[in-house]
Amino acid sequence: MRDREMDEILELAAQARHDVEPALLQRVAGSIKSSMRPVRPLPPTWVLASELILICAAVALAGAARAGFYGIEKMSVLERSLIFPVLGILGWVVAAEFVSEMIPGSRRRIAPGALLGIGSLALLGLFAVLFRDYRTNDFVSAGIVCLMTGLLHAVPTGLVSWWLLRRGFAVNSVAAGLGGGTLAGLAGVTMLELHCANFQALHVLLWHTAVVPGSGAAGASLAWALRFRARSGAPN
Amino acid sequence: MKTLRTMYPDSNLELLMARYQGGDFTAATALIERLSPQLHRFFIVQFASRRDADDLLQETWLRIHKVRHTYRPGEPVLPWFYAIARHVRVDHYRKAIRTTAHEERLEEMSEVAAIPGQSGRADDLEALLAPLPESQREVIEMLKVAGMSLEEVARATSSSVGSVKQKAHRAYEKLREKVSAIGLRKGRSGGMS
Repeated sequence: MRDREMDEILELAAQARHDVEPALLQRVAGSIKSSMRPVRPLPPTWVLASELILICAAVALAGAARAGFYGIEKMSVLERSLIFPVLGILGWVVAAEFVSEMIPGSRRRIAPGALLGIGSLALLGLFAVLFRDYRTNDFVSAGIVCLMTGLLHAVPTGLVSWWLLRRGFAVNSVAAGLGGGTLAGLAGVTMLELHCANFQALHVLLWHTAVVPGSGAAGASLAWALRFRARSGAPN
Repeated sequence: MKTLRTMYPDSNLELLMARYQGGDFTAATALIERLSPQLHRFFIVQFASRRDADDLLQETWLRIHKVRHTYRPGEPVLPWFYAIARHVRVDHYRKAIRTTAHEERLEEMSEVAAIPGQSGRADDLEALLAPLPESQREVIEMLKVAGMSLEEVARATSSSVGSVKQKAHRAYEKLREKVSAIGLRKGRSGGMS
């Protein structure tokens, strides 16, 4: 049997009339009537994504201003001109996808999980190329401090981003949480790059990059927990 | 074939949606009347009982009403509606895990399926799509009943066009096998009588 014949069978089956009880339609219309009022549609994706990027930049700059811009001061021109544009591009892509996750029926260019993987790999590749000091002084203790600092800066970014997109509606809240967490993680990494002057390759590769998947996982887990709580609380 | 797309071109739906967002109750009623049969069928095709489908439809419209500001003029209308309907359906099934009942119903429907699409009955499509996994069933429903494009189905299901194509292709393979098997069985029983 050819596809064309299969099409015909499906089309014939789909033609059958499917009615819904008029009383049900009246009930539906009646249930929304009392709350009918004009609403303001959400702004375009680029506007919301730009606002998210501004939030990330503000949190990273504020954090570095408080802790000191030692990292960027120690960087070479090449390092500065590669690290921050890459973080900016990744941030923009993740912000746009995060916005898409918060608007039903949006075009999805890349799944948030894949984006998290690609973003982390891109950072690993970039740091591996730029940092060649393979010593591991205070590897764990210094690393934990950086990881916690990055994650602590991801938290306000994630919360403010979520607040900014509060009028959106995530059809897949876990995917949206993962996107938001990834974006917040990138803000955390940006803060670390501005502040941390420890350029040992393994330190940057492991502890700085780990902020992105750590924050992404935290965002997804939080969204999952909230969804689970909402469902457990809602009557069936 | 008269799909939702041919009956109500996108421009009409977009216009109604814009008026609905502007607070026009007549536009909201028109949208409810036009889209409800398709959305109801979308739920029925996913093995919801008539009563469940009624509940899901009502819940979907309440959700649509609550988040109507998230539709942005100029964007395709149907993926927006179907994405919300799909979310409501998934939410509903996660709340009430009725795997056993679902499987029993699936077996039942596969057994009773005659040669589909030839009688013009309303349950033909549901019976025809019964053996397909949920993800393939919804893709075929959106493509063939709602008349959505691959791109629109991808938007509604939060996936890529490639993934939608793959699901449709696999669904066609399974349906082809099923229709051929039924045809063969019918031919044999016809020959014996």
